Amino acid sequence: MKKILVIGSGPIVIGQAAEFDYAGTQACKSLREEGYSVVLINSNPATIMTDEETADAVYIEPLTVEFCERVIARERPDGLLPTLGGQTGLNLATQLAQQGILQKYNVTLLGTPLSAIQKAEDRQEFRALMREIKEPVPESWIVENEDQLAEILDLVPFPCIIRPAYTLGGTGGGIANTREELWETGRKGLKLSMRSQLMIERSLLGWKEVEYEVMRDKKGNCITICNMENFDPMGVHTGDSIVVAPSQTLSDIEYHMLRTASLKIIRALGIEGGCNVQLAVNPDSFDYYVIEVNPRVSRSSALASKATGYPIARVSAKIAVGKTLDEIENPVTGTTMACFEPALDYCIVKLPRWPFDKFASGDRTLFTQMKATGEVMAIDRTFEAALMKAIRGLEVKQKDLRHAKFQAQADEELGESIRIPTDERMWAIAEGLRRGWTVDAVRKLCRVDRWFLVKMQNILAIEKQLQSGEQVAEQALKVGYSPSQILELSGGRVVAQDHLVYKMVDTCASEFESQTPYYYATQGTEDEATQSLGTPLQATPVFSVT
Amino acid sequence: MSDSILVLGSGPIRIGQGIEFDYSCVHCVWALEKLGYRALIINNNPETVSTDFDTGDGLYFEPVTHDDVLRVVRSEGCLGVVTQFGGQTAINLAAPLAASGVKVLGTQPEAIAMAEDREQFDELLTSLGIPKPAGRAVRSLAEAKGVAREVGYPVLVRPSFVLGGRAMEIVYSEEQLGGFYAEAEDANPGQPVLVDQYLLGQEAEVDVISDGVDALVPGIMEHIERAGVHSGDSMAVFPPVNLSVAVQELMVDYACRIARALGVKGLMNIQFIIQGEKVFVLEVNPRASRTVPFLSKITGVKMVQVATNCMMGQSLASQGYKSGLWNVSTQDIGTPTLEKAPFYAVKAPVFSFQKLAKVEPSLGPEMKSTGEIMGIDFEYEAALYKALIASGIHFKPGGYVILTVTKDDKDKTVGIARKLLAAGYKLAATPGTHTRLKEEGIESHLVMKIQEGSPSLLELIFNGEASLMINTPTVGEQSTKEAKQMRRACIESGVVCITSIDTAEAVAQALHLFARPELSNCMPYTEYLKQRGSLR
Repeated sequence: MKKILVIGSGPIVIGQAAEFDYAGTQACKSLREEGYSVVLINSNPATIMTDEETADAVYIEPLTVEFCERVIARERPDGLLPTLGGQTGLNLATQLAQQGILQKYNVTLLGTPLSAIQKAEDRQEFRALMREIKEPVPESWIVENEDQLAEILDLVPFPCIIRPAYTLGGTGGGIANTREELWETGRKGLKLSMRSQLMIERSLLGWKEVEYEVMRDKKGNCITICNMENFDPMGVHTGDSIVVAPSQTLSDIEYHMLRTASLKIIRALGIEGGCNVQLAVNPDSFDYYVIEVNPRVSRSSALASKATGYPIARVSAKIAVGKTLDEIENPVTGTTMACFEPALDYCIVKLPRWPFDKFASGDRTLFTQMKATGEVMAIDRTFEAALMKAIRGLEVKQKDLRHAKFQAQADEELGESIRIPTDERMWAIAEGLRRGWTVDAVRKLCRVDRWFLVKMQNILAIEKQLQSGEQVAEQALKVGYSPSQILELSGGRVVAQDHLVYKMVDTCASEFESQTPYYYATQGTEDEATQSLGTPLQATPVFSVT
Repeated sequence: MSDSILVLGSGPIRIGQGIEFDYSCVHCVWALEKLGYRALIINNNPETVSTDFDTGDGLYFEPVTHDDVLRVVRSEGCLGVVTQFGGQTAINLAAPLAASGVKVLGTQPEAIAMAEDREQFDELLTSLGIPKPAGRAVRSLAEAKGVAREVGYPVLVRPSFVLGGRAMEIVYSEEQLGGFYAEAEDANPGQPVLVDQYLLGQEAEVDVISDGVDALVPGIMEHIERAGVHSGDSMAVFPPVNLSVAVQELMVDYACRIARALGVKGLMNIQFIIQGEKVFVLEVNPRASRTVPFLSKITGVKMVQVATNCMMGQSLASQGYKSGLWNVSTQDIGTPTLEKAPFYAVKAPVFSFQKLAKVEPSLGPEMKSTGEIMGIDFEYEAALYKALIASGIHFKPGGYVILTVTKDDKDKTVGIARKLLAAGYKLAATPGTHTRLKEEGIESHLVMKIQEGSPSLLELIFNGEASLMINTPTVGEQSTKEAKQMRRACIESGVVCITSIDTAEAVAQALHLFARPELSNCMPYTEYLKQRGSLR
């Protein structure tokens, strides 16, 4: 094995954005570190991965089977790494294998075997496997044509979810509340699925949605990178959900129950590399269902990498060429190996960025089809501060929890704005709470966990105090208002003195010495950024985790 | 004195501000490191290479706002900040940061204001004797009406200081003006609205690197769609195939003079409209544009690196460059030419309409694409073909091509229809287009628009017989309900829908390659350049 072909993800579209430039660039670097020669094909010139310095040969050619075959014929690579170019790269690799092109040119698929990818992506095979290992999956039906769709119209419990197989970001999917809606959305989904295959399943609307990012090597070593919890309950695409990491509302029992399930699944599938497991958890019991598995590097894994400091794509590439987790160095600490599970001593909030400021006529309702073009992430020590930081960085008109549109709505209308998920629902929820609606009343409408709502109340309490000119500068900074926001909200009456320090994202919550200058700001006393300036970090950890 | 420099990122990916800006930020960081500086990044987008902690000497994962940037600058004691690579997000912070006492590196806030503030910009162009479409910045609807009457309809109405053509509209009558004026005002409250004469012509753009005195133009990109389609949604070709030598020389001359007058240190982008041999400057963006990665790859000029060096005080001359247009064949400054280029590179936009129910998919002055791809080959048609298929305009020979075009586009449609027939496609056309084709002796299957009855073109779309629809919107009525319904039907059925006659002509021009793709090449992009001895 000398030469490896990497397939990129092509143009930025909704559901497939810059995360694959990040993953692809890391993968190329990682493989070249191991001494391989890398050939790359990607049609998108606006990427770092297509720089001539990134790979040994870079093809900016259309991402079609035909052009991939021409690249293979010309370069004669020994291996193909299919899991770093998003769904586009994975679909192309699958087609190249199925059409016998890989065999013809003697190209080995690296990393997760094709059979495992199919088991994860083909709904029927996946469900069979889950049944075999006794992991619960929601009752569902698979249809492959309109006749089959017609047959089940009277069997399915409503509301139900429609998911076409083999599409990007859930294209063509949706929720149906009636037979008619099921028929319409189902027909559309059949056309958009590369395999003409749909899964229709019981809706778990209102359940908590949780994801685990897991890694496995060829020897079967498995670790969890982190888990993430959606603020929005089931029913909204993860890419359109507000996400926190690590999970904030799971009990320890639930956390470990889901972790165990995720590791069991990645083992059963035989994944070699990174993988994402999505689960639904009943907020009122210990019931859970496995929703789906992404047998590849994804948007979630980019988020998890940045959230923890653990370079998932880089490590996945090394696993694909046969290295094991205990042999790969964690480049963040420089002292630990990739088999250490990251620890987080902060809270992450991700907010999606939607295009509805440009598409005023677009349908703003969120469901299982992703609509966001991008996202922001914020790191701080509390959920409140991270949320405020994320909103401030979103570059929309709203810079905090106020939104004129919802302030102007009558109660009844506001209730609907809270009930129906849209890109602006967070502000509607805040407005409900601002009007003194109880947490339970708001929860009944939106099904967002009480914990998140109480945290929003904390911010709103400060908002009110600032507006009435109370001297709460310190508390306001703590929940994430910036000095100029405080000045603005209080009409110039409250002037904040920053007590800002920078903390390090080091994958290990300071348990080990770390050298990576990756920082976030928070209110506090001990600065970890200026310490590392010029002088090396203290050998003893700032505080240790037991 | 610290040697730390903070590079401002571009925040979340959105339409109008995509991955291109992350590319430029990353290259700026690397260039600064090469110069021996400690290069820091502030950005909050978790998807990107710029927020890989391996990229710079330090990563601050924080929002790109005035307060958050200022806090990092103070904590690190930074030498200065770089605002020209992170799109509109970063450049908009230049003036407020300077006001807070932060040193902005490269092009100064005063120069940025001169390019972005319409009144100052008009004065600048007038003093340089460089033509622009008639019009100006206004602050009320009454004033807008006055300008429109003065320059004549149609007029282009848009907000100032906004990227991606947001709320930009072509307005054909005074009745329409009120609504669009309000939208433009709302898009950036407190800032004036720009009202300009709308010139229908060829569009082109250049990126310029300047050290404040000399100005290097790495390449001219010619847009395939005429004015009225946002530059981010246009296909574009490098080097130009239709612009005369005189026109190219004028563009380079204007670019060099504007760069010098502004004192640009770093990158700048200029958009032009060409009518005959006359060149008008449409707008100047005093920052790295979305075409920087594309041009950097195909011209052999490492644009961000050269620009960063200029920003940090090196002259172009000291880097081996001088004023003028770069020639890819000789890898030196040269005069424009219309000779066959060593290779052609075509950029094409990619849209996400399938994910966005109810969104109008026709092209207009407001940007709608989410991404882009490139096709490169030795022949223009082959590069065009690759750009088309890579952007998803991929249709098999055989099926119907539905033609339903506006009156102004019927002439061009005749030529396109002939090429389609010759390539073995079947034609279907709505009554007006059908009649016109018949006059030219071209047979087509008559189909009706939705409200006109059966057989409706929707049937062809839904039953899978249509492989392509060419539908150009009626002038001034971009979003009639019926037209939008037809286009949405295509999107939802996976049928390619082309809404600009210029894009359709490009497809027709590359049609023979759809049947014989082996006529195109497949090689590392550096080889297209090297085979003609163009890489240094």
